[in-house]
Amino acid sequence: MANNNTNSRKAILVTPELCIGCRACQVACKSWNQLPAIETRNNGTYQNPPDLASAAYNMIQYSEVPSDQNAVRWLFLSRRCMHCEDAGCITICPSPGALYRTESGAVAFDRDKCIGCKLCVNACPFDVPRYDAEDKVTKCHLCFDRIDAGMEPACTKTCPTGALKFGNRDELVSAAKLEGFATIYGEKDLGGLGSIYAFKEEPKLYGMKENPEVPSSVVFWHTYLKPLSLIGLGGVVGAAAIHYLAIGPHKDQEEEV
Amino acid sequence: MAEMVRKSSVDEVLNHWILAGSCILLIITGFAFLFHLESVGAVFGGFDTMKSIHNWGGVVFSVSLLYSMRHYLADALHYDADDRQWFKVAGGYLSHKVKVPPMGKYNPGQKLYYLIILLAGIAIALSGFAIWLMKDNGSMMLLAHLVHNVAFVVFVIVVPVHIYLGTLANPGTFGIMVTGTMPLETAKKRHPKWIS
Repeated sequence: MANNNTNSRKAILVTPELCIGCRACQVACKSWNQLPAIETRNNGTYQNPPDLASAAYNMIQYSEVPSDQNAVRWLFLSRRCMHCEDAGCITICPSPGALYRTESGAVAFDRDKCIGCKLCVNACPFDVPRYDAEDKVTKCHLCFDRIDAGMEPACTKTCPTGALKFGNRDELVSAAKLEGFATIYGEKDLGGLGSIYAFKEEPKLYGMKENPEVPSSVVFWHTYLKPLSLIGLGGVVGAAAIHYLAIGPHKDQEEEV
Repeated sequence: MAEMVRKSSVDEVLNHWILAGSCILLIITGFAFLFHLESVGAVFGGFDTMKSIHNWGGVVFSVSLLYSMRHYLADALHYDADDRQWFKVAGGYLSHKVKVPPMGKYNPGQKLYYLIILLAGIAIALSGFAIWLMKDNGSMMLLAHLVHNVAFVVFVIVVPVHIYLGTLANPGTFGIMVTGTMPLETAKKRHPKWIS
């Protein structure tokens, strides 16, 4: 599962303070992935669509926070799959190949192999996977098809301000540090994310999850229960074989001895 | 041919086969999901079809498990002094030299096994239905996933022991699973308190 050649790991660096909320990334994503429009209602915010969806692999989250200088501060956060190194969705998925790691380190999906169990939805620390009308998983796949063809993802390609940058993960992290960003969100979390965020302020202010983790029950299951099922089965089969050879089967006659 | 005595009714024999068959099917497909065994998936026509087989196999198992209660539950809840002594000599399985107390229709190991299967079976069935039908309840899904896998570990440990004790370890026992009957002479030796 681990991406051994870390130099080949690609990432998207999001710099929210450069984002102007134009939503070109949303449009480019829909265009490349041929996703239909979603009919939504104005519910008091410019945020649209209101949430990630099977037809919205990325979105800009708009939040209004208190400010000293102005009546309110308007913050924009570009959201998509975080492409975790330690990906809860891949860990829990019971169907081989339905969720998988690409060569460039992205977490991609194969909807033909998805069996529609929705375990990935509940194992994701970032509430990312969405199911389409046919109950198959969908989410951002880092445009691995474009990457494989030597191009960058649709969203980063179209971003007019540099709020979204694509490149080698190592280089993006060091460049953001050199520019003086206090927090590189996702540098270490979950083994290192493939969507990293450069913040000068608290990530929490933008609505980022603090200390993201794969659910503890999933970690416990993967670390202990899975091996235990094999060890348990092997152990009792071995014990039965030893019992048969060393002690032998029940004999009615010997009861009288 | 030796005189036979009926130990299990026809519906008990039939239901035990359904319970055993569905249980083994569920364990095999369960292992395939757990460890991504693509060759097993291919046998069932892919993982999507295998999921349906696993789910509906679970329905068969659940119904069969509930039905089995009328055959075994009353016996499984009743233990006497001989049963306590049976545990002390480990049922005679660790040495042929110890004296095993006289048994009734079932020894306490079998009775305890049934209670384990019943409880783990109810847990694995309920959690299975939750994973199947309550997909949009996140915390319920994760809890059910955990319970399902804990119960699975119980099953893969106790079921092979049951199969071994019912075949190789006790020659002749498998015949009861097939015909529901056993030779009277054997029954007098193995189940004196039941046969009298």
